[in-house]
Amino acid sequence: MAVRTIDVRERVMARNDELAARVRERLLQAGVTALNLVSSPGSGKTSLLERTLAALDRELGIAVITGDVRTQNDADRLERHTTRLVHAVVTGGACHLDAMQITAALDAIDLEATRLLFIENVGNLVCPASWDLGEVAKVVVFSVTEGEDKPLKYPKMFQMSRYAVLNKIDLLPHLDFDVDAAIANARAVNPDLEFFLTSARTGEGLDRWLDFVREAAAPVGR
Amino acid sequence: MHELSLALEVCRMARDRLPGDNPVRVVSVGVEVGRSAGIEVANFRFCLESLLQEPPFTGARTDLVELDGGDLRLAYIEVDDGR
Repeated sequence: MAVRTIDVRERVMARNDELAARVRERLLQAGVTALNLVSSPGSGKTSLLERTLAALDRELGIAVITGDVRTQNDADRLERHTTRLVHAVVTGGACHLDAMQITAALDAIDLEATRLLFIENVGNLVCPASWDLGEVAKVVVFSVTEGEDKPLKYPKMFQMSRYAVLNKIDLLPHLDFDVDAAIANARAVNPDLEFFLTSARTGEGLDRWLDFVREAAAPVGR
Repeated sequence: MHELSLALEVCRMARDRLPGDNPVRVVSVGVEVGRSAGIEVANFRFCLESLLQEPPFTGARTDLVELDGGDLRLAYIEVDDGR
């Protein structure tokens, strides 16, 4: 018996990261800004995007890639608010989107007519934090029905995100949710997080969010 | 589910590194898991051990080492080529 060792020392995410780098370069060349929306299920990502598309799609040219384990319900909802392609990725069981899926989805999007790409990731506060999709930034969305300690329970997601949306603030009068504590918890794991407080249902706080989206879509590399 | 997808990727990488010209018995697969990699180690070990029961690894040992940092790496593969 002759046992020998094959030395590898390769990062498991290396292949995904290589593809993500190619996606990032492709989007940069096309002048498209990509934002990766990550959250737990039910935080209001799709509602926030519905509002965003209704307000800004004609002005900006927004494409959306949605990821769901089953169904393309989110894509169907968003399609009502835009004539632009909303591409649904049904992961068939996987708990996150990966850069290979985004690479394939980009082939179905008219990048020339697009300035902003939203990637609505699978609702999951764990796995999507580890997968680079070639986005400019991750935006973590959570809601006032989820508890102030979400950032402490799922720190990696908040560490990997540059922006945070605290949604469903219209429900605050009915809850014991402490907004200041939630923001303090988030900033304890990521001091640089920029916050948006929104209600996708009533529209409260959306003006600032929409201003941010406009700014994010400003032409850069085209 | 996250751990299973990562374990599948480890197996894909390991399979790619096996010599194609000469059948070998895989003795062990060594993986380094960063403590801030967002991986539940016991669950990951279970997934990888289960996958390593299948060919071409059939019965290979799972060697996991926890390290500081956020990376997950396939560190090495031990093979017995019968020579």
